[in-house]
Amino acid sequence: MATDVSKSFGPLVAVSNITLAIQPGVTALLGPNGAGKSTLLRMLSGQAAPTSGTVWVAGGDPRTDPQARGRIGLVPQQDGVFERENLLAVVRLGAILSNVDDPDRAARAALDMVQLDPGIERPVGAFSKGMRQRVKIAAALVHQPNVLLLDEPLNGLDPKQRKQMIVLFQSLGQQGRTVLVSSHVLEEVERFGSRVVVMANGRLAAQGDYHGIRRLMENQPLRVRVECADARAVAGALVAGGSVVGCRVTTATQAEIVTDNIRQFRRDIARVCQERHVRLEEVMPLDDDLESVFRYLVGGGQ
Amino acid sequence: MTALLALYRLLLRQQVTVGRLALVGGFGILVLAIALGINRQVSDQQQAIADGVSLVTALGIGLMVPIVSLVLSSSTLGELIEDETIVYLWHRPLARWKLAVAAWLASASVAIPLTTLPLALAGFIASRDASTAAAIALATGLASLAYGALFVLLGLLFRRALIWGLIYLFIWELFVANVGGGSAQLSIRTYPLSVLARLTNVDIRLADHSLPTGVIVPIVVALIAVGLTAWRLDKIDVA
Repeated sequence: MATDVSKSFGPLVAVSNITLAIQPGVTALLGPNGAGKSTLLRMLSGQAAPTSGTVWVAGGDPRTDPQARGRIGLVPQQDGVFERENLLAVVRLGAILSNVDDPDRAARAALDMVQLDPGIERPVGAFSKGMRQRVKIAAALVHQPNVLLLDEPLNGLDPKQRKQMIVLFQSLGQQGRTVLVSSHVLEEVERFGSRVVVMANGRLAAQGDYHGIRRLMENQPLRVRVECADARAVAGALVAGGSVVGCRVTTATQAEIVTDNIRQFRRDIARVCQERHVRLEEVMPLDDDLESVFRYLVGGGQ
Repeated sequence: MTALLALYRLLLRQQVTVGRLALVGGFGILVLAIALGINRQVSDQQQAIADGVSLVTALGIGLMVPIVSLVLSSSTLGELIEDETIVYLWHRPLARWKLAVAAWLASASVAIPLTTLPLALAGFIASRDASTAAAIALATGLASLAYGALFVLLGLLFRRALIWGLIYLFIWELFVANVGGGSAQLSIRTYPLSVLARLTNVDIRLADHSLPTGVIVPIVVALIAVGLTAWRLDKIDVA
C-alpha cells in the first residue's frame, strides 16, 4: 500500500502523489517508458525512499523492516545478475539470504517453476536474456514470498516462455499472493486478465479491471495517417461514414484522420477503399499507441 | 553466519579477476626483484635489516599496500553498484553490517596474502632476518585491513572510487601527511610503519607512535569504516 507517495530526483518528479492499495491476486502496472513504474516499484520494495508519503508492504515498511522485505519477492528491471555464477548458485544465494531452511531444495524447486534445469553449469553471464530473466524470477520466488513485485518480467522472453510465466503469475495470484507486474505492453496486460493500474507522467492515471481500462482507451481520439491512391475521395467518404471526427488531406495520396472509434474506422476504411477501387497502401497510427492513451487518461478524458 | 559466509564467498569470487591478480602479482614480483638486488650489495647484517625495512616502507606500505587495497576493495561494493546487482543482496532480509563485513573480509582476504607474502619475503631476502620478515608481515597486514575497509567505503560512496582513492593516496598520504606534525597523525600508514619501526628498531620517518597505538589505530579505523559502510548501505537508494 502506498499513501500519497512522491519521489523526486532534483527538479525531476518521477512519481507524484500516488495512493494505491494492491489486493491479493495479479495486478498489472501499466504505463509507457518513463511513466514512473520502476520508481514506484522501487519504493514499494524499499529500494528507494519516497521523498514524501508512506509505503506499507507485507506488514511493514520494506525500507526499514527486514521482516517485511523477507516477505517480498523482487524481479528488478536491470538485466544483470551475478554473471560469473551458475544459475543454481544465484538462486540458492537468494534462499540463503532469505533464511530458507533448505536453500538447495528451495532453489531447485524455484528453478523448476520457471522451467530451468538446475544442472546447467555455465555461468549466468553466458545465458540469453530470456534465461537470465527466468533466473531472476526463480530467485524472487525461492523464499515463497507473499508479495511479488515484478518489473517488466516478460522482457526478453519468447512467446512460449511469456505464456508460461503468465500462467505462473496467475497461479501465484490464485494462491492468494499479491503479484504486481509492470509492463508497457497493453496486449501483455490483457493476457494477465487482471486488475490494472495505469501510470503516466509519474501519476496514477486510472485503475480498474482490464476491460474497463481498455474501453476507456478505445474511446479516446486517435490520429491515423492513411496512404492510398486517392486520399481526398477516401477521406470524404470516411467523414460521411461517421467514424471520423477530423480530417486533413496533406497530399494527393495522404490524409491525416482523427477517429474516436478505431474499430469502426478499421471496418470503414476497408469498405470505402473497396467500393471506390482505391488501392490502400498504409494505415499508420501517428500517436504512439500507449503514449496517446496515457495522455488522454491523465487529461481526464478531455 | 551462513548468510555472511555466502556473501563473503560471492564477493570473493566477484573480485578475483585475471587483470587484478596480474596487477597485484606484478607489484609483488617488482618488490622481490628489488630485494634480490639489495641482497647482493650489502654484507653488514644491521644495514641489511635497515635496507629491508626501507624497501618495505617506501614501496610496500607507502605504495603497494594502499594501491592493491584500493584496486581490490573499492570494487567490492563499487562494482555491484555499477552493474546494479547490489539489489539482489540489498533487498533480502539481511542486516546491512553483514554485507559491509563480508565486503571487507573478501577484499582483505585477497589483499593481505598478495601483499603480505611478497613483502615479507622481500624483507627476508633483503635483511636475511626472519623476525624482520615477521614484523613486515604484521605491519602490512594491519595496513591492508585499514586501507581495505576505507576503500570499501569509498567504493560505496563514489562512482569513480579508483580516481578518488588515488587522489587521497597521492595528495594526502604521500604529500600532505609527509610534511609531518598533525597531518601525519591522520595518515593511516604512519601506524603500521610505527609497528615496523618498534619491532625492528629501525628509524622510520613519521613512525612516531607506540607499538600498541600502531596496532590498535588501524583496527579501529577499519571498524569505523565498516560501520560507516553498513550505515551508508542502510541509507542509499539502490537501482
